[in-house]
Amino acid sequence: MNGHTHTPSCKDVMAHICDNLGEELDSPKCIEIKAHLENCENCRHYFKSVETTIEFYKKYNVTISEDAHNKLIEFLGLKE
Amino acid sequence: MKPLWIKNIKQIEEIELIELARGGDRKALAELVKMYEQTVYNFSYKICRHKDRAEHTMQETFLSMVKNIHQFSGESKLSTWLYRVVANHCLMLARSENKYGFTSLDDEEALIDEKNIADWKVTPDKVTENNELKNMLDEAIQKLAPEYRIVFTLRDVEGLSTEETAKIVELSVPAVKSRLHRARAFLRNELNERFKS
Repeated sequence: MNGHTHTPSCKDVMAHICDNLGEELDSPKCIEIKAHLENCENCRHYFKSVETTIEFYKKYNVTISEDAHNKLIEFLGLKE
Repeated sequence: MKPLWIKNIKQIEEIELIELARGGDRKALAELVKMYEQTVYNFSYKICRHKDRAEHTMQETFLSMVKNIHQFSGESKLSTWLYRVVANHCLMLARSENKYGFTSLDDEEALIDEKNIADWKVTPDKVTENNELKNMLDEAIQKLAPEYRIVFTLRDVEGLSTEETAKIVELSVPAVKSRLHRARAFLRNELNERFKS
């Protein structure tokens, strides 16, 4: 993983992923990071795992039950 | 002049309902509750990770809305205000109970271990139907202090911007980014233990 001589280092790239995922950035640093990702499988795995973590929590949703809705309306005194 | 956040018909409808509700219209209040109850419940659940606490937080949030709607200026979105009430209520609950030992995230450096990388052979599909996976996700996020959980949920799960998140939690943008960085790295590490094959 550290066998290549790219700058920034893998640790820098991983930190950058955690810092900037979801931001649309075109700074020279971001361009370097993208270039590093193209050449480093390990960092790509890290990137994918952070993205997957976020996706898991995005897809974990709950729906309010009818009972909870009715209790809420009653609690607020908004029942017609 | 219209507030800057108003961009579509739904938002115009919302501002009209708020105006009516401020004037004491109960039907308009009930409509606003219906409009936001799913969002508030879902967000409450994602922070509390407990059905009863989420329902309680939702009730307290809307009670606060009903009591204080006359003070709502309309300069920001109602959802921003509701997210803030939920976040504050969940923090208050967590502090009063204080029974969970949350993992310290003070050492940001230690959160990224270059040697502990794996290719996850999982896809984030069908989370809702998979109870084992849901338990895994609950366990991981429950180790995260609510201050971090709130920032992660607002920014990454609810999809708000870093600036909107900062406004809701009343922190600076760099402080939000720092919490987000630590929360992402921490949750990823927790799940890595399960998914590295």
